[in-house]
Amino acid sequence: MHATTAPPEPGDTDVDLRGVRDARHDRLFRYALMACALLVLAALLGAAASTAWGGRLAFETFGLRFLWSEAWDAVNGDFGALVPIYGTVVTALIAMTIAVPVSFGIALFLTEVAPNWMRTPIASAIELLAGIPSIIFGMWGLFVFAPFLAEHVEPWVNDHLGAIPGVGALFQGPPLGIGMLTAGIVLAIMIIPYISSVMREVFLTVPTRLKESAYALGSTTWEVVWDIVLPYTRSAVIGGVFLGLGRALGETMAVTFVLGNAHQLSASLLMPSNSIASVIANEFTEAYTDLHRSSLIALGFLLFVVTFVVLAVAKLMLLRLARREGA
Amino acid sequence: MTDSAAASIAPATAASAPAQASAPQTPKIAVRGLDFYYHGFHALKGISLDIPTRQVTAIIGPSGCGKSTLLRVLNRIYAIYPKLEATGEVLLDGENILDPRYSLNRLRSKVGMVFQKPVPFPMSIYDNIAYGIRHHEKLGRAAMDARVERALRQAALWDEVKDKLKQNALGLSGGQQQRLCIARAIALKPEVLLLDEPTSALDPIATGRIEQLIEELKRDYTIVIVTHNMQQAARCSDHTAFMYLGELVEFDRTETIFTKPARQQTEDYITGRFG
Repeated sequence: MHATTAPPEPGDTDVDLRGVRDARHDRLFRYALMACALLVLAALLGAAASTAWGGRLAFETFGLRFLWSEAWDAVNGDFGALVPIYGTVVTALIAMTIAVPVSFGIALFLTEVAPNWMRTPIASAIELLAGIPSIIFGMWGLFVFAPFLAEHVEPWVNDHLGAIPGVGALFQGPPLGIGMLTAGIVLAIMIIPYISSVMREVFLTVPTRLKESAYALGSTTWEVVWDIVLPYTRSAVIGGVFLGLGRALGETMAVTFVLGNAHQLSASLLMPSNSIASVIANEFTEAYTDLHRSSLIALGFLLFVVTFVVLAVAKLMLLRLARREGA
Repeated sequence: MTDSAAASIAPATAASAPAQASAPQTPKIAVRGLDFYYHGFHALKGISLDIPTRQVTAIIGPSGCGKSTLLRVLNRIYAIYPKLEATGEVLLDGENILDPRYSLNRLRSKVGMVFQKPVPFPMSIYDNIAYGIRHHEKLGRAAMDARVERALRQAALWDEVKDKLKQNALGLSGGQQQRLCIARAIALKPEVLLLDEPTSALDPIATGRIEQLIEELKRDYTIVIVTHNMQQAARCSDHTAFMYLGELVEFDRTETIFTKPARQQTEDYITGRFG
């Protein structure tokens, strides 16, 4: 192909040779790139397959009952994943409920409202927050934040929110400090940096002239944000939210510290519980029976499944939005 | 072509010039001693000019002369950025719009703006028009439909889009998008229309349509247009302001500016000797 487009001049065969060599190099380069990408796929499938294989004993023993049994009895060898799954999902939901609006506010403040001299310091502070190891969050949550909640916040929550019919059940119970609510709040603090950085980045991509046009029609800042900035950046914003959710689902150390490691299913968010990651972290060293160990690995596999399902749902949502746009 | 154009200008001049002189109407916008500072940079220096009602006023001048800045003061769009400051007076129907007590919402319903590049909102054609109206008025379904249709007709776009009002506005061509932006601005029933180089991103045919539209719109609106294109200023404006380095060098009837300017600088710019 190269040879036909660049006919060799008389006495110059280099052109031909070069074309052949270039084509070969390009091919090699493409293979190398593909190998890099396939490596990720291989790692993912490998991890999924090995956790599924490691958990096969639990799946064989309990069958599907493993998914909805709330038993976790190491002595009698009876295990079920319901409590950890419940704890994982509930703490992640609490975290998202807090983190999404707060991150939205941070990102908007930094891109639309803040004076220039404030933008960079706050943005750097957020990035630093993302760099704090999760064990620090766990220690802070256990020694500082949980006692504070137990003393000042949870009694108030009990008295006021606990009395509301219906949702009140979520807020009743002894003010222990540790529990799903605490874990959810700590998780929220941990994922805010991720969500808000993504949101900030994408808000910056909205063309100035688009915002100015809306202002010129008499829109307020809030209206510009809600009607113009958010629709324009919607898919990237949802992407950022799910990045945060992915982290919230899998976070281990901080949650292990403040969730309370209790195998019980309770409606109240003030009660201690367990998440998939925290059960594994707490019990791996004590799992002496094959069935116990296999159950823990099976939990790991379920975390894979939960995360995968959540991300798949997110992708589907984006696709449906895109299709509605196109129509 | 040139002959007929000249012929068509000549009687208009003869007819309107005495009228202008005998009955000086009160200006729609009166700029008085306007200074503008951009992060400390003195971008507009003591600008004073009268923008007449229901006529087209063009602002010309080389890049960086402050013509867009002047336009952006007229609807206070600059106010969305920190550290920009305008002093002096800009009187719209006798009221100073630079007064912080003058509501931005009210100002922007009276003074519409169209930008250099067409910027449809990421929504349907219909919603692009209805969006601005909803900020200022509560209209029922039928009334809103009528308003949207009227705006699109005025912007000479209705026939091209009436069958696809629910489609995304980003699917329109550049020229159509710009007419949509004009429709969006006039849907609010403004009194003044600011056009910031509205054709600089368009091809000659689309430009021609927009200029024709400006000619029609001046029956209902006071129009201020910033343009790089001197032929455009000559073709479609009644008055022309020439600005240079933040100062208003000369402001007069367009024929005067383009045929016998009072200042040497103006003549040099118009004849292409600089700028």
